[in-house]
Amino acid sequence: MTKPTPSPKGLAAAAKKLKELGTSAIMQRTGPLTRELLLSPGVFGLAKVPERIKADQTTTMVCGFCSTGCGLSIHLKEGTAVNLSPTTEYPVNLGMACPKGWEALTPLYAPDRATTPMLRNASGKLVPTTWPVALETFVSKFKGIQEKHGKDAIAFLGTGQIPSEELAFLGSLAKFGMGVIDGDGNTRQCMATAVVAYKQAFGFDAPPYSYQDFEESDTIILVGANLCIAHPIMWERVCRNPHKPEIVVIDPRKTETAMAATQHVPLAPKSDLTLFYGIANLLIERGAIDKNFIENHTKDFEDYRTHVKKYDRERVIRETGLSGEAIDRLVDTIARGKRVSFWWTMGINQSHEGVRTAQSLINLALITGNIGRPGTGANSITGQCNAMGSRLFANTTNLLGGHDFTNAEHRDKVAGALGIDVQAIPDKGSATYDQILEKILKGKIRGLWVVATNPAHSWINQDFLKDVASRLDFLVVQDMYHSTETARLAHLLLPSAGWGEKEGTFINSERRIGVLKKVSRAPGQALADFQIFRLIADAWGCGEMFKDWTSPEAVFELLKKVSKGQPCDISGLGDYAMLDRHGGVQWPYPEAAKVAPPEQQRRLFADGRFFHADGKAKFCFEDSRPMPEPTDSKYPHLLLTGRGSSSQWHTQTRTGKSAVLRKLYPNDIYVEISPNDARDLKVEPNEWVNIHSRRATVKARAFVTHTVQPGQVFVPMHYSEMNRLTFPSFDPYSRQPSYKACAVRIAPVRNYEE
Amino acid sequence: MNSASNTSSHPIVRSPSLKVVGSQKAPADLLSLLLREQQSMTAVDRFVSHEASTPHTQARYYRDLIPGVAPGPGQQYAFEVDLDACTGCKSCVAACHSLNGLDDNESFRSVGMIHGGKSDAGFQQTVTSSCHHCAEPACLTGCPVNAYEKDPVTGIVKHLDDQCIGCQYCTLMCPYDAPKYNSARGIVRKCDMCSDRLSAGEAPACVQSCPSEAIRIRIVDKADALAASNAGSFLPGAPGPQDTIPTTVYKTERPVPANTLPADFFSISPSHSHMPLVIMLVLTQLAVGAFGFAHLMPRPDGPSNAPPLSHALFALALAGLALVVSPMHLGRPLLGFRAVLGLRRSWLSREILAFGHFAPLSALYALLVSPLATAALKYPIVSQYLDVDRIAWLRNVVGTGAIATGVIGVFCSVMVYAATRRPHWSVAYTTYKFFITTIVLGASAAFMLSVLTGGEPGEAIFGGSKIQKLLLLAVMVAAFAKLAAEGLGLRHYFDKRTTNEKRVATLMVRDLAPATVSRFAAGGLGGLVLAGLLWLSIGANATSGLSNATVQVVAIASFAFLLGGELLERFLFFRAAPASRMPGGLN
Repeated sequence: MTKPTPSPKGLAAAAKKLKELGTSAIMQRTGPLTRELLLSPGVFGLAKVPERIKADQTTTMVCGFCSTGCGLSIHLKEGTAVNLSPTTEYPVNLGMACPKGWEALTPLYAPDRATTPMLRNASGKLVPTTWPVALETFVSKFKGIQEKHGKDAIAFLGTGQIPSEELAFLGSLAKFGMGVIDGDGNTRQCMATAVVAYKQAFGFDAPPYSYQDFEESDTIILVGANLCIAHPIMWERVCRNPHKPEIVVIDPRKTETAMAATQHVPLAPKSDLTLFYGIANLLIERGAIDKNFIENHTKDFEDYRTHVKKYDRERVIRETGLSGEAIDRLVDTIARGKRVSFWWTMGINQSHEGVRTAQSLINLALITGNIGRPGTGANSITGQCNAMGSRLFANTTNLLGGHDFTNAEHRDKVAGALGIDVQAIPDKGSATYDQILEKILKGKIRGLWVVATNPAHSWINQDFLKDVASRLDFLVVQDMYHSTETARLAHLLLPSAGWGEKEGTFINSERRIGVLKKVSRAPGQALADFQIFRLIADAWGCGEMFKDWTSPEAVFELLKKVSKGQPCDISGLGDYAMLDRHGGVQWPYPEAAKVAPPEQQRRLFADGRFFHADGKAKFCFEDSRPMPEPTDSKYPHLLLTGRGSSSQWHTQTRTGKSAVLRKLYPNDIYVEISPNDARDLKVEPNEWVNIHSRRATVKARAFVTHTVQPGQVFVPMHYSEMNRLTFPSFDPYSRQPSYKACAVRIAPVRNYEE
Repeated sequence: MNSASNTSSHPIVRSPSLKVVGSQKAPADLLSLLLREQQSMTAVDRFVSHEASTPHTQARYYRDLIPGVAPGPGQQYAFEVDLDACTGCKSCVAACHSLNGLDDNESFRSVGMIHGGKSDAGFQQTVTSSCHHCAEPACLTGCPVNAYEKDPVTGIVKHLDDQCIGCQYCTLMCPYDAPKYNSARGIVRKCDMCSDRLSAGEAPACVQSCPSEAIRIRIVDKADALAASNAGSFLPGAPGPQDTIPTTVYKTERPVPANTLPADFFSISPSHSHMPLVIMLVLTQLAVGAFGFAHLMPRPDGPSNAPPLSHALFALALAGLALVVSPMHLGRPLLGFRAVLGLRRSWLSREILAFGHFAPLSALYALLVSPLATAALKYPIVSQYLDVDRIAWLRNVVGTGAIATGVIGVFCSVMVYAATRRPHWSVAYTTYKFFITTIVLGASAAFMLSVLTGGEPGEAIFGGSKIQKLLLLAVMVAAFAKLAAEGLGLRHYFDKRTTNEKRVATLMVRDLAPATVSRFAAGGLGGLVLAGLLWLSIGANATSGLSNATVQVVAIASFAFLLGGELLERFLFFRAAPASRMPGGLN
């Protein structure tokens, strides 16, 4: 036997290798850690990303947070989502997204996802159970209540966060299948005012605009809207306006948007109605109105002219706290503008006289003829991703498809379209959110089914809500998480699949119907709300009524049928693939007016015909009223509320799950307070203060800043304790809560540690 | 039964179970159908795009936001931020995280806010920031392992992730808080201006994701960056540009009010304590001090005689312990040996090198002091070269060398912190602190060892009680000097302006009160009360004082309190150190 002797060549190679090893131990320019962040070439038109999250397929879907309705390209690997980026070709966002959109997948992987149904046990603890037990309990408890207290002793609270198909299923199952009368959605908290304002003025709930109008205006008037924070992608569209538009922000606070505007009008809180009547008056006095348009397309103008006469310049100066020059400048701006668009958000909607205020803006658009043309409009910016779907298809206030429960013809039509017995359709509308709570308080409603919303955080005067919830015989909460403030109160929790784990369509602020897709697996036994409704229909014994409701797309066909002949007619649409191909399609899209391919940016009222029988828009107005809880010597500061940052969404059940988003806003609840007030109250910057209202006391950190005016303080809505402070007043027409103003007192809390 | 534990934080590994345990009654069939349907991803197949090789579609929107050419000589790439367009959406932060595949809470960009003005003219401005790819990057200067490079063409300051040992010194060196420690990986990571993208004509993640086009890459002349830095013009509320010459350009046409401050200006919170560094610094200083006193103190029988072995061993043991503890601070301790690479630039490398010499020299010294040295003379192979005198000479040379390296080491320690240019770590004050620690602990240790190893009090080996009293005097004076200086610093708590000194004092008084109180109590007790007691008990009349055993116990207690006090002082040195950073958000 001969031993293999290492050749000199082999030795040299080994030595070289050893040397390399030694060198790389000392100086390692690349390796596994470097490769981890090394970017691979982009695929499918996407940006470069590290190899480990590189897509092998991609698909586009609509974002599930706000109503902007951005398109997001989901990066798929082996069939499931691993990342996303905003879609360049989507006509809404042009390849941009806010942080929520970028982080839209992260909340799906949270450890507090509900993965099984949960039932409260004898010792009062929510414990996991099986679906059959959960369904059996749901049916027996609710039926038990109905047998004892009547069919209308149960109610439901829905949402603007789930697809139209699911909303329609919830509303139909509850009202047609289970005999429920009262159901409402959290859209009451954000959009009800705009709905009523449009209905009364235009004859249908019809936001007339397309986002393209942001780019085509020469004058953009933003009222109670902080686009930069609340709708950053709409602000992107403003930034793309090539006409160097005049941008006016009407808001008591110096918001990010006010900073970016060309004109900031810091009016006194809740003096907006007076301001807009006053402006109308000044425009009419100057003759800066479109007489032709008024003549041909509106009615009751003379009454309106008489009405606004009461709001002369001096009164406006007195009530709004603005200077005469500021008011004149605003009037000049509107008078001078050729394409003036008026936009509003929660600053108007969440008000004790929100409907009339929204209509005062609609009226400004009408008298100046700024509607139906590019870059114009009286435009309500919606809140939630499917608030618009909820408005049309939730079957709560309106019968499916924007119909009227009290109208027999409508009931017949809907029954026919759905193939159900017309007797199953109630002939009266639903109680509103606040009225449902009142009914619970009075013991008339005993069982409540809450779907995809978190009232224990979001409802005005929160302690009252919690008191009300505790009086229920049975509370069912259907949610993605077992940890929401409301889920923790539930007797029965049903685990939902979330956005990204199911299919359906959303309707955005500009009436664009976009598709969502199933790109991620729901955890455990969580099911799409759609499937939960199927199970409940089956367990309740009304499965037969919903035998055709087998998939969201099948229901979409029914919705198309129901919408026929309505202003929101979408009967000309094809299937989901058709919507997907065109980057979403705006309603209306009736069979008759079908064009291929559909135009991507359409606005309403180009022909000056409104939805009232006479085709005319109506001036709606009444005297302004003082705010319900003004400041006084005991509570001398006015508490304003609103969105805190673009990385927080409402009650934070989802955005709170992303570590990146959590970096982008303060962890502690804080209150913005003017340096002048801080000095008077001896409040040091950053110290803890007590905010006392007549309802509760809440501790918050003082952020001393001139962005709020003296006498006013601001707290973002995302911190759960905030709504313990708010005063429960409501717009009389829309029953939308007025979150934006209540009286408080601020006092330092020395040495407070969390 | 499935429970919440069924979900995982990672989308890929999540494998939901379809099993339904419990009674499967009426709707079981529909239920299993729906559960199965829920898990099928078939819907995706209907919609997915299969055109893999399309170029980046977003390019049409960012083409003008990145330079089409490479920088010329004297130029580099830089971020330019249009403050008038930055409206605080923070998409850049999220996009940096997503497109670069960073960890859960990791992003190389952040958005803060500055605000000011007056009640009828409020001012607020959001500020996006990332690495400023400085002309004189302090991270690079400080890095002990050469893990930073400034690209000669693009000027991009790149971090070599695999070279990093996780010492985190760059996070202290950077005035803008750009490099961030990633504890899961044990390394620092930072922005490289998405150089992989730029080199392929793709805009960096932040640039391509900004809805208002507020961020762009442009080519700047380094001379312009220098001129702007000389003029101190960078961004209101940000740390000054003079030290590192950041190249980011913040531009605005709006007037910025004079009272503009970062939103987090008044938010004062403790920094990381860096415990291994606390221990390392105090122990190395103690070792150098103890060694110095052991070697330099006059001995009764003349300088040629050996100092006591116990002193040398004590110093050696502490130096050794310090060297063992210090790598515990590293994210990747096994690669700690790389830390000498940065010798040309980094005080950290120099510190490591100095103490790296101090330890073996003090070991050699201990060997020379020990009976082994004289015993070895029995062997011809040793006695051929050495005799008792030569050993003494050698001992002196090694001892002097060890002291020199030790003092250099402590000085390097000073410079490690002084180089960060934080006002609270100034050269003067840090020198004062570190060298007095060396003296106070060294003297206290020498005294303690002298009473532990000597005979009756007053008869100790250091030439009797006079020397012992001198040691105690040194302890008391040094302890007083230190406590007084630290105590005086607290007066800034009452400053009207929120100065850096006030921040330090506020942290010590408010957030770190227990540590502060303990620090003064321990220092006062060990360095003044007990040392004073010892001073009184050993003196002219040796028998009039305490018993020998009591003196020993009190000496140990005095030393222990002093050591504890110095550890607490060093803990506060790190914890009560206001951060240097770009304007942040509230909190």
